[in-house]
Amino acid sequence: MPVIKLLHTADWQIGKLFGQFDADDASALAEARIATVEGLARLATEEQVDLVLVAGDVFDAQGIAEKTVRRLFNALAGYRGPWVMIPGNHDAGLAESVWTRAARLQAIPANVTVCLSPGPVLLASPPLAILPAPLTQRITYTDLTEGFAATDTPAGLPRIGLAHGSVQGLLADGIDSTNPIAAGRATQARLDYLALGDWHGTRQVDERCWYAGTPETDNFKGNDSGNALLVEIDGPGALPRVTPVATGRYRWHDRTSELLVGSDTDRLVDELAGFGALDVIQLSVTGHTDLAGHRRIQQAIGTTGGRVRSLAADLSALRLAPTDEDIAALQADGYLGEVIDTLRQGQEGNDAAAAGVARDALALLASLLDEQRGSDTR
Amino acid sequence: MKLKRLRLEQFRRFRQPFQIDGLTPGLNLFTGPNEAGKSTLVAALRAAFFERYRSSAVDDLRPWGDSAAAPTVELDFELGGHDYRLTKSFLHKKRCELQWNGQQLDGTDAEDRLAELLGFQHAGKGASKAEHWGIPGLLWISQGSAQEIREPVAHATDHLRRALNTSLGEVAASGGDDLLANVEARRNELLTAAGGKPRGDYAAAREQEKALEDELASLDQDIAQYSQKVDRLARLRQEHTREGTEQTWVAFRAQEADARARLEALQGVERELAGTRQQQARGEERLRLLRSHLDAFEREEKELATRRAATAAAQHTLDEAAAALTHWQPRHDEAARRYDSARHALRLARQEDTRRNLVRSRDEQRRQAEAAGAALTQAEAAHAILQALRQQAAAGAIKDSELKTLRELGSQLTENRIRREASATRLGYTLDAGVRLTLDGQGLEGRGERHLFDHSQIDLPGLGRLEITPGGTGLAELQRAADELEDQRSALLQRLGLNSPEEAETRAEARRQLEADLRSAETGFKALAPKGLDALRLEHAQRTTGAAEAETSLAALAPPPEQPPPAVATAEAEEEAARQALAILDSQLATARLAESSARAAFAAATQEQASAQARLDDPARGQRLGAANAELTDARAEQDTLSRRVAALEQQIAEAHPDILRQDVERYRSSAGAAEARHRERATEIYRLEVELEAAGARGLDERRAEIDRDLAQARRRSAELARRAAALDHLLTLLRSHRQALTQRLQAPLQKHLARYLQLLFPRARLDIDENLGPGPLTRPGPQGDETGNLEALSFGAREQMGVITRLAYADLLREAGRPTLLVLDDALVHSDETRLAQMKRVLFDAAGRHQILLFTCHPEKWRDLGVAARTLDSTP
Repeated sequence: MPVIKLLHTADWQIGKLFGQFDADDASALAEARIATVEGLARLATEEQVDLVLVAGDVFDAQGIAEKTVRRLFNALAGYRGPWVMIPGNHDAGLAESVWTRAARLQAIPANVTVCLSPGPVLLASPPLAILPAPLTQRITYTDLTEGFAATDTPAGLPRIGLAHGSVQGLLADGIDSTNPIAAGRATQARLDYLALGDWHGTRQVDERCWYAGTPETDNFKGNDSGNALLVEIDGPGALPRVTPVATGRYRWHDRTSELLVGSDTDRLVDELAGFGALDVIQLSVTGHTDLAGHRRIQQAIGTTGGRVRSLAADLSALRLAPTDEDIAALQADGYLGEVIDTLRQGQEGNDAAAAGVARDALALLASLLDEQRGSDTR
Repeated sequence: MKLKRLRLEQFRRFRQPFQIDGLTPGLNLFTGPNEAGKSTLVAALRAAFFERYRSSAVDDLRPWGDSAAAPTVELDFELGGHDYRLTKSFLHKKRCELQWNGQQLDGTDAEDRLAELLGFQHAGKGASKAEHWGIPGLLWISQGSAQEIREPVAHATDHLRRALNTSLGEVAASGGDDLLANVEARRNELLTAAGGKPRGDYAAAREQEKALEDELASLDQDIAQYSQKVDRLARLRQEHTREGTEQTWVAFRAQEADARARLEALQGVERELAGTRQQQARGEERLRLLRSHLDAFEREEKELATRRAATAAAQHTLDEAAAALTHWQPRHDEAARRYDSARHALRLARQEDTRRNLVRSRDEQRRQAEAAGAALTQAEAAHAILQALRQQAAAGAIKDSELKTLRELGSQLTENRIRREASATRLGYTLDAGVRLTLDGQGLEGRGERHLFDHSQIDLPGLGRLEITPGGTGLAELQRAADELEDQRSALLQRLGLNSPEEAETRAEARRQLEADLRSAETGFKALAPKGLDALRLEHAQRTTGAAEAETSLAALAPPPEQPPPAVATAEAEEEAARQALAILDSQLATARLAESSARAAFAAATQEQASAQARLDDPARGQRLGAANAELTDARAEQDTLSRRVAALEQQIAEAHPDILRQDVERYRSSAGAAEARHRERATEIYRLEVELEAAGARGLDERRAEIDRDLAQARRRSAELARRAAALDHLLTLLRSHRQALTQRLQAPLQKHLARYLQLLFPRARLDIDENLGPGPLTRPGPQGDETGNLEALSFGAREQMGVITRLAYADLLREAGRPTLLVLDDALVHSDETRLAQMKRVLFDAAGRHQILLFTCHPEKWRDLGVAARTLDSTP
């Protein structure tokens, strides 16, 4: 019995558009998902795997444009071996679905098997049996892998399960979470390996069961996404050897920085300077700073934003604490000084909305005075 | 600030150096007529401070026609405890020096220091304008502009604030108003000025957000529909598969066939029932016929009885009619006889009546004929007389004209004779008795007179003759006329057959008598024969003939009866009565005859009918037919009973089989099968339709489109939120700036109000002038007849506005002085529109102010200002 080597991946979410980013960034991130699939094909070829398992949510939705559908299947061309896919909750195998459309468009290559019904799929080379649990409804509360145990496959063939859903008791989901999968299903159903999709981070469930995670990160959850799994099975009953491989292009960072003393500002500026073109950053700054610090941070954000893939900075919780020198520099005398005092006090208030307005107003006033002084000195 | 000395050279009106020295710290009064140089002094003051010494826009400072002049002003003044000297030359020799305490600034530095000290600005370029003049522009009142206060105050506001802030120990916002305007402008880019509603980019962002939300909602709806269709498609396919296996319509078809077979069997029974019923109907018909035959036999027997009774009745009627006829016949004959007798009597009565009438007519005719004959005789006699008179009248007729001519000739002759006698020689004579003379042969005797018309000769017997010839000349002519007239009369008389005119008169009288007689005769004749003689003759003839005719008729009458008949009327009445009685009896008799003959005919008919009815009953075949009919009736009844039982049995059989329900079953199973098949086909169609629809909808990439919109919406929302935050910040900032500025202004207003009140009370007791936020004068409130009256300064009279202008400026000066700022007041011909009372008050005001400020007062009316308490300086620059 030769060793079986397969590539386990899931949750490609093709067609996702990332509305929280600016148009350019969003389009680059969407584009990257197709490129990553191409990368997966290359990886499969390089690693000479026997097949590729895709555990659902290939598409982010049913109503994906024809062009996108074709592009996705074209992206598989880098690997000539068998691809076995099941629909997930995003692309469930309904009466009419993205899959039936793809079939109608004749976009699905011959080496791709899409399991739209639960019957086992037997591969001749390598000889093995695949037990798919495709979702044929958007949401189900029954465990579709329930029937695996009762499904007999030819003796001597490794049994590999392919499913999409939440393993019960593992991911802190509710008891009645949707698309449930019983814990210990792999053992219970005599599976050599159970390839799962739905959870976007790479995660081992037990010794025979893994979530591959999405190969290209699509959120800031920071849950070890951006991987695929290389799985080697020596034979029926043997424990699989699972190796995560990084496949993602973009690194997603969710940063919160609290500024309390002057050096905090320096640290934040340094940190921002460390990001590169493949970073997607979500930054939230809290605490307080003087006008000079505020200007530096804004400057740094501007510079970094021009360099990285995307930087979304939220300074709404950052209080401005102009120093006397700041005010003197602004030449804010007379009642302008009083206004600045009022605003400084305003941003300390209990009413968060009013405090926010005061903060904005203060920053605005400072910049206007800056401008005015600039034009005066000119 | 105290001005001490002012020196001019080559400056407008002052070509030669001109100096004013020893100016006092308080009031300084300058008088002089127009063109004496007062305004030139003021202009020099302005130029010294406001105009850049390098300015080339100050040509008006040079004396007229002196292009090489270098207008120069030199000022000595004390300010902040220092003595300053400012020397400024323009145009030809551009120079500026400011010296104090051994220090000196030159050129622009000197000018800038001045501006800072006094609180004004220089023009960036060109001549200085009002907006640069700041505080001096406010306190130095040009000729005729004291009433203008708002604009100078506006130009000085910033300086005032800054100056006043110092006195309040606060710091004004430098450029605060610029910032405020900036913030307001930016805020108003995003929010409407009045309502704070989004506008511009902000409104656009909100609209875009809304539009995207709508589109997203629409897409969501489409997607939901799409999902529903997908679900429906799955369900339909499931049903279709199940139905395709079960094929329920086959079972329905079998049930339909079964029901139909049973229905057909039942229809055989129904046909038999119909046949039996027809038989039954025919039997009924036969029974009915038999019964009618038997009825006919019975009717014939009844008929005979009826006929017999009818015959008896007819006999009775006939008897009665014959009796009536017998009764009426003799009565009728009697009446006829009476009627003939009455007619005869009537004829006789009428004959005798005719006779009497004819006798009476004949007698009358005769009498009339006699009368007519008498009248005719008289009339003929009268007529004869009349004819005779007419002939007589026609014989001796002289025409009236001829008679008149004759009479005129007579009178002319008479007149002629008188004239001749007058002309004639009158010969009177008285002769003695017995003497006789002869005149022309005629003897004269006694006494008399003669007229001599012609040569006459008197024979005097015994004496000879006297021949006398009348001497009158016309006598001969008159004689000739008389002769002519005499001839004419003679001719006429001769023609008339008369001998003399007297005879003519006699004949005329006789003729008038004759005419009267004639008229009388005519009248008499008319009375006798008004219609003429012929009418009389005709009447006479007619009457005679009428009498003859009546006589003839009498002769033709039958001879009168022996007994005189009754009167005609009586005879007529009797005849009428007899005639009527006969008519009644005629009628009765005719009625009786008719009744009798009718009764006779009825009796004959009844007798005949009775005989024929009797004959029918007596027919021997009748009995046989009657027996046959009765037997047949019995048979038919039995047959009908059998048929009725058969019908009942069949009906029960059919009712038990429920044919209507069976028919419904057939229909129900048939349509169920059809419906099931149709449903199956329809489902297949719908599945196909859904597949096509979904295919088309799927091609739209709805979810991807939705994701795009969602992305755009998120971006629009971010943009909108950013703008909202910015708008809120700007709005907040604007509100804060305004409120702080307002608070500051209010703090500044208080001292100004105080100073203003001091002067105002001198001018308008109990009046109050508000200060607006720009430190300008606001509305004035004064006590009026109906309580306080409030109005703008502009509504006051020119004079009052001038006074308000001056006292407002004095108040500003007081304020500035308290702030340690320089004050110098210049009034160039101000208050010229004030009446004496007000001017007196203003003098008190000015005198009071002069205790704190130096005031330069220029006037061309020195007499008005004599009581100001200072000596006037008289200016006269005229060379």
